[in-house]
Amino acid sequence: MFKKNVTLVLTLLLSTGLFAQQRQLQGQVLAAENRQPLPGVTVRINRTSFGTATDQDGRFQLNLPGNKTVLSVSFIGRETVETEVREGDANITILLKPANTTLDEVVTVAYTNVKRSGYPGAVSTVSADKINNRLTPNVTNALQGLVTGLQTTSANGQPGNSSTIRIRGVGSINASSAPLFVVDGAPYDGDINALNAADIASISVLKDAAAANLYGSRAANGVIIITTKQGKKGESAVNAVFNQGWSSRAVKDYDKINTDQYFQLYWEALRNKQLTNGQTPTQAAATASARVVSDLGINPYGPNFAEPVGTDGKIVAGARPLWNDDWEKGIQQSGKYTQAQLSFSGGSDKSTYYVSGGYVNNEGAYMGSGFKRYNIRSNITLQAKPWLKVGLNVTGSSSAQDYPASSDSRTDNVVLVGRTIPSFYPIYQRNADGSYKLDANGQKQFDYGAYRPSAALARENLIGSLPLDKNRYTNENISARTFLEASLIKTLKFKTSYNIDYVNNNSLVYTNPLVGGDAEIGGTISKGNGRKLIYTWNNIFTYDIDLLSGHHLNLLAGQEYYYFNNSTLSGSRQKFVLPDLYEPAAASQLNDFSGISDNYTKLSFFGQGQYNYLNRYYFTASVRRDGSSRFSPDSRWGTFWSTGASWRISEEAFLRSVGWLNTLTLKGSYGASGNDNLSSYYAYLALFDIKNNLGNGGVITSRLATPGLKWESNLNLNIGLDFGLFDNRLYGTINYYNRTSKDLLYAKPMAPSTGFGSISANIGALRNTGVELELNVIPVRTRDFKWNIGLNVAHNKNKITELPQKEIISGTKKLMVGSSIYEFYLREWAGVDAKTGNPLWYQTGADGKKVTTTNYASATQYYAGSALPDVTGGFTNTLNYKNFELSFLLAYSIGGKVLDLDYVSLLSGAASPGRNWSTELLERWTPEHTNTDVPRLTTDNLNWTSTSTRFLYSATYARLKTVSLGYSLPAQLLSRIGIGSLKVYALGENLLTFYGHQGMDPEQSVDGTTYYQYPAMKTFSLGLQIGF
Amino acid sequence: MKASRIYTYAAALIIGLSACNKQLDTAPSNAVSEDIVLKNVDNLSTISEGTWAAMMDDFYGGTFSNPGFKTIALTSDAMANDVALITTKYGFPTAYRFTQMNDKTQARVSAIWGQLYKIINNSNIIIANADKVEGDATAKQVLKGQALALRAHTYLTIASFYQFSFLKDSLAKTAPIYTTPTTAATQGNPKASLKEIYELIFSDLLQAKALLANYERPAKYKINADVVNGLLARAYLNTGRWELAAAAADEAQRNYPLMVPAEYSKGFNDVGNSEWIWGHPEIPSQSDGSYSFHFLDVSSASSYYYSFMADPFFAELFDAGDIRKTLFSWDGSTAAREGYLQYKKFKFRADQTADLVLMRSAEVILIKAEGYARAGNLNEGINALNQLRTARGAKTFASEGATQESLIKEVLIERRKELWGEGFGLSDIIRNQLAVVRKPYVDGSSNDIKVTVVTPGGVTKQVNAKYHTALSFSDQSNFVANSPYYIFVVPQAEEQNNPNLNK
Repeated sequence: MFKKNVTLVLTLLLSTGLFAQQRQLQGQVLAAENRQPLPGVTVRINRTSFGTATDQDGRFQLNLPGNKTVLSVSFIGRETVETEVREGDANITILLKPANTTLDEVVTVAYTNVKRSGYPGAVSTVSADKINNRLTPNVTNALQGLVTGLQTTSANGQPGNSSTIRIRGVGSINASSAPLFVVDGAPYDGDINALNAADIASISVLKDAAAANLYGSRAANGVIIITTKQGKKGESAVNAVFNQGWSSRAVKDYDKINTDQYFQLYWEALRNKQLTNGQTPTQAAATASARVVSDLGINPYGPNFAEPVGTDGKIVAGARPLWNDDWEKGIQQSGKYTQAQLSFSGGSDKSTYYVSGGYVNNEGAYMGSGFKRYNIRSNITLQAKPWLKVGLNVTGSSSAQDYPASSDSRTDNVVLVGRTIPSFYPIYQRNADGSYKLDANGQKQFDYGAYRPSAALARENLIGSLPLDKNRYTNENISARTFLEASLIKTLKFKTSYNIDYVNNNSLVYTNPLVGGDAEIGGTISKGNGRKLIYTWNNIFTYDIDLLSGHHLNLLAGQEYYYFNNSTLSGSRQKFVLPDLYEPAAASQLNDFSGISDNYTKLSFFGQGQYNYLNRYYFTASVRRDGSSRFSPDSRWGTFWSTGASWRISEEAFLRSVGWLNTLTLKGSYGASGNDNLSSYYAYLALFDIKNNLGNGGVITSRLATPGLKWESNLNLNIGLDFGLFDNRLYGTINYYNRTSKDLLYAKPMAPSTGFGSISANIGALRNTGVELELNVIPVRTRDFKWNIGLNVAHNKNKITELPQKEIISGTKKLMVGSSIYEFYLREWAGVDAKTGNPLWYQTGADGKKVTTTNYASATQYYAGSALPDVTGGFTNTLNYKNFELSFLLAYSIGGKVLDLDYVSLLSGAASPGRNWSTELLERWTPEHTNTDVPRLTTDNLNWTSTSTRFLYSATYARLKTVSLGYSLPAQLLSRIGIGSLKVYALGENLLTFYGHQGMDPEQSVDGTTYYQYPAMKTFSLGLQIGF
Repeated sequence: MKASRIYTYAAALIIGLSACNKQLDTAPSNAVSEDIVLKNVDNLSTISEGTWAAMMDDFYGGTFSNPGFKTIALTSDAMANDVALITTKYGFPTAYRFTQMNDKTQARVSAIWGQLYKIINNSNIIIANADKVEGDATAKQVLKGQALALRAHTYLTIASFYQFSFLKDSLAKTAPIYTTPTTAATQGNPKASLKEIYELIFSDLLQAKALLANYERPAKYKINADVVNGLLARAYLNTGRWELAAAAADEAQRNYPLMVPAEYSKGFNDVGNSEWIWGHPEIPSQSDGSYSFHFLDVSSASSYYYSFMADPFFAELFDAGDIRKTLFSWDGSTAAREGYLQYKKFKFRADQTADLVLMRSAEVILIKAEGYARAGNLNEGINALNQLRTARGAKTFASEGATQESLIKEVLIERRKELWGEGFGLSDIIRNQLAVVRKPYVDGSSNDIKVTVVTPGGVTKQVNAKYHTALSFSDQSNFVANSPYYIFVVPQAEEQNNPNLNK
């Protein structure tokens, strides 16, 4: 009703003008690429319904009002052109270019949708087809290589784990550098694992100020907007997908030496040690032969060879290992991958719906690990009244993650079992002759190896105990997005939306009372519950108007309130009354009971204006004011803003006729966003932690008062160019950015003797500059054969530009103005002394001379390169031939270093007898082999495995993230049996990895350190997709 | 009409804003703000309890290898003569090989330093506010006295490990002193000399002694006048004030009779032991400090690391009939442990906890003996030494032919024998300006000495005795007196972030 009235008024107004002053215009519309006339093109005057259509020759004729008029010329499959008709123009030619679907699509940005062409912001989008059918339950793992300037690392590859994401570099030192996730219009604080990738319609990654800054204090590290699927009017569809696959480790573990080599090398180490203790070579050799077996605690050569290594250091003739138990194989399982999805979607004039259910079961490569999830979703939109739209998106998920320890050097880490225990320690108890020791029932019995040296994980046999233990995390996640949108008048809309995320998670960690590490204390149980409730309520007015003469204005004003509550409860007990009981009630001794609750709130007001003239010149500006509960009342409010502009050069008359140029848009933006994401929710109070003592209440200092602490701010400049050439067969975007984070929320180090390690302060500044290129090529585009190539390349440089003091050392890194935030600062390895076989490091003396030293503690630390990669990106190919489709994505990361301290554990050699040795130790120094990087063997610790540049490796790698080959059955065939579509396919995830350092999965943490983590998995599956 | 609508919206917004604005005030649930803590003496005393818990039951620096204050004791003994550490075990091999505590980048170095100064700052908060807050006058006195004593104890620990002996050079710069609570503006103080540190220690302890004169403590972890006397005795001994040391020691031990021999083999895990002057009870829900027993306990099956084995030469110091001698046993329990010498002094309780000893009358009696001996009062010195020896069933020290030198030597040996595993190994070596002594346990032709072990199956067999594996400093040089390898280094973080450190 509204609409009609307004149109009528406008028509009347225009008619008045028309009658007042009229002139005639003739024109022709041609295809830009070949100058062929286009018939049936709509030509409108001043964006009214007045107008005409072109005839067979592409010609039209119009009576124009006034002297200033804008024509809108549109045609399906072509870009709409708006052109100004000046006084005196009587005959014009208009060229229409073919529409580029990518550059012309509608994308979601902060609180609104925009058409990509001409939009000044830097936005990357990922379409549904790239992520819907991936063999990983966590959507963050699917983003790698798909978005320019987005670096992901999946340090821990346990099924159900997510990747760390950094957009355009690392933006903060102490505060979070993670981007904001927004799902269907509201910040998402649910479990990222709860999102079903199959329900996602598109993902927008907002990278610059113009696109993201309306999120103000949460925009500093970029924003990832996920939009879920909605039904379409008039179509009703049923879709089912089923995948069945198998998973295993993506890369093999480090190579280790075999039993014979182990015994011989250990003998050599013992002999060398005895020589330095003053024994003669003969004595030393004899002692070594006598001690090998007792030191290692086992004789795999059997009782016939009491001293299996002779005094010549060789395995004696005839001796061979009676068993060879591969612990790595033993702890691994063949993981299955099952995924199923069923969805219904459709709609009418009054409503649309999308309803789906999903199931995924992703078993891990290691025993006892896996992830299972059930999802349901219902997205419904109703046109309740012609002026009122309401919507409700609800999703629920329930997941269970079996999560045995898989990081840290702890002895129950599943990754370390095979890496640590050599094959000469049996998995099942054996007699001295190598036969199995069977129990009364004739069953093999696990060997917990109390006799093993602690370096070989004495008293542990995870292969035996893991099936008896539980490490389970269950998670129920409910998210609702509701909105009510009223068109007050045609140009003014009001939208209120209330959004809620609710997460309930439970953890149950149980160790059995019968065998393994905790048998001694009767088993342990700890159980925890966490409840997170987050809601966002926002109210937004949007005013959108097309003014006469090609001006277009869109204004937005809004308010938002954000509330976050996290409440936890946990307890632990030990000493089970009886076996086979798994809950705390069954354990007799209470160890701990605790729980906390935290609130975090934010209140915001914001506004934005977007203006364009003739769809050619675009300007945007936004401002937002946020108040955060993290800061003191005096400093909690911050103001954030952005401005942006773009110019569609290709729309200018002088370029319109250049046939090979389809799109050319120059854009720029600048603005300030914020970050309050400190680990503390109360970053201003002087606080004492609760620290009770023997039942008496106790407290101890935890932080100093910082009443002046305020927002970290992020100044973001972006300059970009969108281009499309040769009939849009070559198109893409180049962006340059300069992100400066200042007033960093920083744990400013204090002298530890003050009783505090640090104090929160706004100090220092950090800069990320970079260039991003996104390039798409369509080498072949015929009816039967289509080939798309996509390449994205991002280079980022991180630099500290301001610090409160000259240098700050933290762990293996040092911060200094001019260096990057993850710059290794290590003692420098100087090789092995060719004369003695001892390790050497460099030392810079007082005189400034660099000399070698054998004393690790006195060696000097030097800068040794950055952990951050120079270039990251991805390479995609999609080939369609008739009904076949082949596509793959190769993600890559070039440059940067990893300090592999995992590997060090395989190099400690005879200093930790019983642990596996790397094959690299075969290269040890001997008087005959002096040119080497591995010191002599001895049972002393030569300290050579202490952290140094010796263990710094290149982090460059490439990974074939996904490959898929599919065949769609011919539609005519299917329609006969009532099926709309049927596709069969094979999928692969992480099938190939190209990297340099054998054994180390190249995906480690962003700061380039290892932590004995679960490696990435590769998965292969077959699938079926069917539609009705 | 239009204007009124705008006003309505504006009013709604303002109301909404003020309502939500209140929501922006939040408070933590697991921490307390300073104003509450400083309200009255009861609240202030929670700092005393919290500081104590943090001292005894925090894993310093967050790793299992640093189980509370006992970390320092374990490190001290690992770096001395009598613990032949199993270097394939977690926790102390680098300390044992002298490649840790001299390296300013090591995690343990900064963990210990940070925790000690955290205790000092919390004590300073109590000391600065005890007189100001509301509450019972006696309670305030006790609180302040205990904080002063704890501060003195912490500085005494620093003075014992972060510099050579006071008697070598009392002016040597050691570590910063803080006597007032740290604020955001605190910059870091310069290193003070040993002399300045001991002046503060004595002043604190003497004040504490007066404040705690009439205090009856509810539990042995609380500092009372006896504990203060014991600390005074240690401080006097370190600074060469022999008579004062002996006198304070004598006062400290009066209420704590030496245990009967049978008690000695019960595992050193009970704060109720008659001769414990100061100790910390552990309970299953607060047992991080008990983790030290995973290193010290070499005979319980539940001990994870059992790495603090005894040096064979140490066993030779004991006489037959000494209850302590019965605690030695050559380990034959598994192949990997064969030939190590167990000294079964420390044992877990059944629930894997164990109380932690901080001061025993045996120690202060030996301070008394040493104080008298060094002061030239041989009779009193011999009496004190023999009081302990008698209690343990050891041969008494004969006064005939005794010289001051021989008595001092015997007292120092007795300290090693009596206090093994309690943390006096390295601090005695530093204090007495001695060299570490570690020798291979071999026969005349350098062959390992064979010992007899019994396997779990009851079979006896001959195996090589295990002994020290680090027989020199890490640079292969010989152990010498007053070596910088013995001194705990100031961590790199202090060097970096304290601009005044060396001023």
